[in-house]
Amino acid sequence: MKHLKISFLIFILVVGIQGVKAHDGNPHVSPGKSKADSQEACVEPTELMRKEHYMFLLHQRDETVIDGVRTKQHSLANCVDCHVSYDDQGKAVPINSEGQFCQECHVKTATNITCFSCHAAEPRYPKHMNTTSSTVIEINELANNIKDDR
Amino acid sequence: MNYTLEKLKTCRYLYWGTFLFLGFLVLIGLASSAYMEHEGHYVTGMNNQIVWGLPHIFAVTLIVIASGVLNIASMSSAFNKKLYKPLAPLSALFAIAFLIAGLMILVLDLGRPDRLIVAMTTYNFKSIFAWNIFLYSGFFVILSIYIWTMLDFNVSRFSSTVGKLAFGWRIILTTGTGSIFGFLVAREAYSTAVLAPLFIIMSLLYGTAVFYILLRIISKMQNITIPTEITVNIRKLIIIFLLANIYFLILYHITNLYISKQIAIEKFILLDGGGYTTMFWLGQVGLGLLIPLFYELSNKENRNFPLTLTSIMIIVGGFFAVAVIIIGGQAFPLNIFPDHTIIESTFFDNGIHGYTPSIYEYGLGIGGTSLALIIILVLITNLKFIPSKK
Amino acid sequence: MIDRRKFLVKSATALAITFVVPSLISNKAYAKKPLAEKVTNKQSWGIHIDTSKCVDGCTACVDACNEENGLTGFGRPATDSQWIRKVKVKSNTTEKITTMPLMCQHCENPPCCDVCPTGASFKRVDGIVMVNQHTCIGCRYCMMACPFKARSFVHETLTQQNTNAPRGKGCVESCNLCVNRIDHGSETTACEDACNNAGHSAITFGDLNDLKSKISSVMKSNNPRRLRNDLSLNQKVFYSNI
Repeated sequence: MKHLKISFLIFILVVGIQGVKAHDGNPHVSPGKSKADSQEACVEPTELMRKEHYMFLLHQRDETVIDGVRTKQHSLANCVDCHVSYDDQGKAVPINSEGQFCQECHVKTATNITCFSCHAAEPRYPKHMNTTSSTVIEINELANNIKDDR
Repeated sequence: MNYTLEKLKTCRYLYWGTFLFLGFLVLIGLASSAYMEHEGHYVTGMNNQIVWGLPHIFAVTLIVIASGVLNIASMSSAFNKKLYKPLAPLSALFAIAFLIAGLMILVLDLGRPDRLIVAMTTYNFKSIFAWNIFLYSGFFVILSIYIWTMLDFNVSRFSSTVGKLAFGWRIILTTGTGSIFGFLVAREAYSTAVLAPLFIIMSLLYGTAVFYILLRIISKMQNITIPTEITVNIRKLIIIFLLANIYFLILYHITNLYISKQIAIEKFILLDGGGYTTMFWLGQVGLGLLIPLFYELSNKENRNFPLTLTSIMIIVGGFFAVAVIIIGGQAFPLNIFPDHTIIESTFFDNGIHGYTPSIYEYGLGIGGTSLALIIILVLITNLKFIPSKK
Repeated sequence: MIDRRKFLVKSATALAITFVVPSLISNKAYAKKPLAEKVTNKQSWGIHIDTSKCVDGCTACVDACNEENGLTGFGRPATDSQWIRKVKVKSNTTEKITTMPLMCQHCENPPCCDVCPTGASFKRVDGIVMVNQHTCIGCRYCMMACPFKARSFVHETLTQQNTNAPRGKGCVESCNLCVNRIDHGSETTACEDACNNAGHSAITFGDLNDLKSKISSVMKSNNPRRLRNDLSLNQKVFYSNI
């Protein structure tokens, strides 16, 4: 019984330490160009976002659906707008595809996210708004400018 | 009456054969539900017109049976009928098994079964469905405690109290199940308080029938005889419950026929509903009520075989009864424009809604029923539930 | 050592991205109402439909709703979602034929909200009845309960949803009075816009609490009534000239 308890404690210790080091500290670069590539920080400090982004989303979703608060700071649509990558043809790569922003961490930590079973994985608005095409061109140009200056 | 509770003693091959067969059916049920959930419900026969289909018929029938099969135990604990005391633990066990099976089918058919935790922690208490979730889980806990008080001598003095609590809880639970339909204002087939007592009386009938069939199967597996007094008593119960069911059914339909705006749905169910009318007259009324009644009344010698046949007919008829209520109630179009006829709609507002169950729904339903049976098989073989004379 | 020119270009570009691009991406046309404000019951949104102006065979409202919310059909009419539909009815007494759009009636006493086990089907304080798809478990009880068969269940995996209308497999959905659009300040719903553009102007959306709004004046001059008034659901959708 004593051996069982000790080995259980060692197991918890080893597994727990692995969990704490979930992020290896290096910035990830997803294929394609996204607005986030050119940003130093997110809508909140990066370390805070890494640990608590789900809490922001969890609270925001109730505020948006039930209270109609549609601020951009913690909005999932805004996350997608910034973090979605555009390929060389200027077409958006769905953010929940392999190697893209969300999957980079979520696959490593084996935590499944179901946001994009409902939410748009790329900015997509009704035809009459016609925002997407102009957005892509702007992002491409701006991202190109920054890359050349680095 | 001196008796002990024993494990089921049966031929090894029979046990394992039954176990593997039922287990296979359960796996088919799980596979069907996995496919339905992965692909989406478009692979089933259910659609935006018939939103609850075959899985719900199975689930409601199993839950109604679960509530009713406890009646044997309730009679011994709540009504002090000593005759059934040896069978009470078995009855409570059956109730748990059928309850688990019914709930499993219901949960696996949800659009988002991954949100079961949400369903169990977020309650809108205005909803009778929320109350039902709470009542079903509570019933499971009470039944477990009830079985404990019946099997453990140290707490057996509480079995009468817990038995009365279980009886009361199950009346409320079955009322809740009937009220799922009774509280709906939208459909003419529902929206009536009589569905609650109708479901209670249906549970008593189907539960007693299922109990007798399972008792016969167990007696055949272990080669024991059921005491005549029990057969005599169960026969009397079934006749009483059949008469009560006929009473409530007549009450429900005659009342509807007096209410002019309900005549259309009555005409549909009783006369020109095609398959639904056949299911009602041949299934629910004929096979489920009238034939068993006359057959059993003529079985004055209290023989086992007629009673078994009666019980099987009752259960099949009961399945059709629930089907007429659930599917028939949805098939009839909504009366959105009184005094108008809808002649065109892209959403099938005009005309009877058709429903053909897919193989996945059959798979899920049969898999769930097999789950109940396999739970019973495993528990009676490994735990002491079968009463035998000392 | 970075030179002054490069530094200025870099900062200007960074600032441009921070301030210009968000406004290009976001719903620029609707940036009127303060997004941070919670909705209140000061407004009570409603719709009035003048069926005498509704044209048989026209599906402008349906097409607009499908486009606004990204409702893609799969060629399976029995299971495809329909948030709004055209119905044609004939009076049993006068044989008069009427066509009209039919959508969620946004009842004040919604049966769908009463029966939802998790409270996912709810009524917002400004009267819009909608489904909180984060809590919906897909039990379809609300679809059983709706007297107008207004709700649809998503029967298949969806891709390429619109950002302004998240929707997915396994949840129930219905007309939400273009809630995303009106929260961003729009004064019209997609169906109303389309009907106006088609030249019929049968649909009027607006604030029923505002006595000076277009819908209030239309209601005054048109003898509106509710469908299934006998159920006392007090819907916010009114019909005239049926």
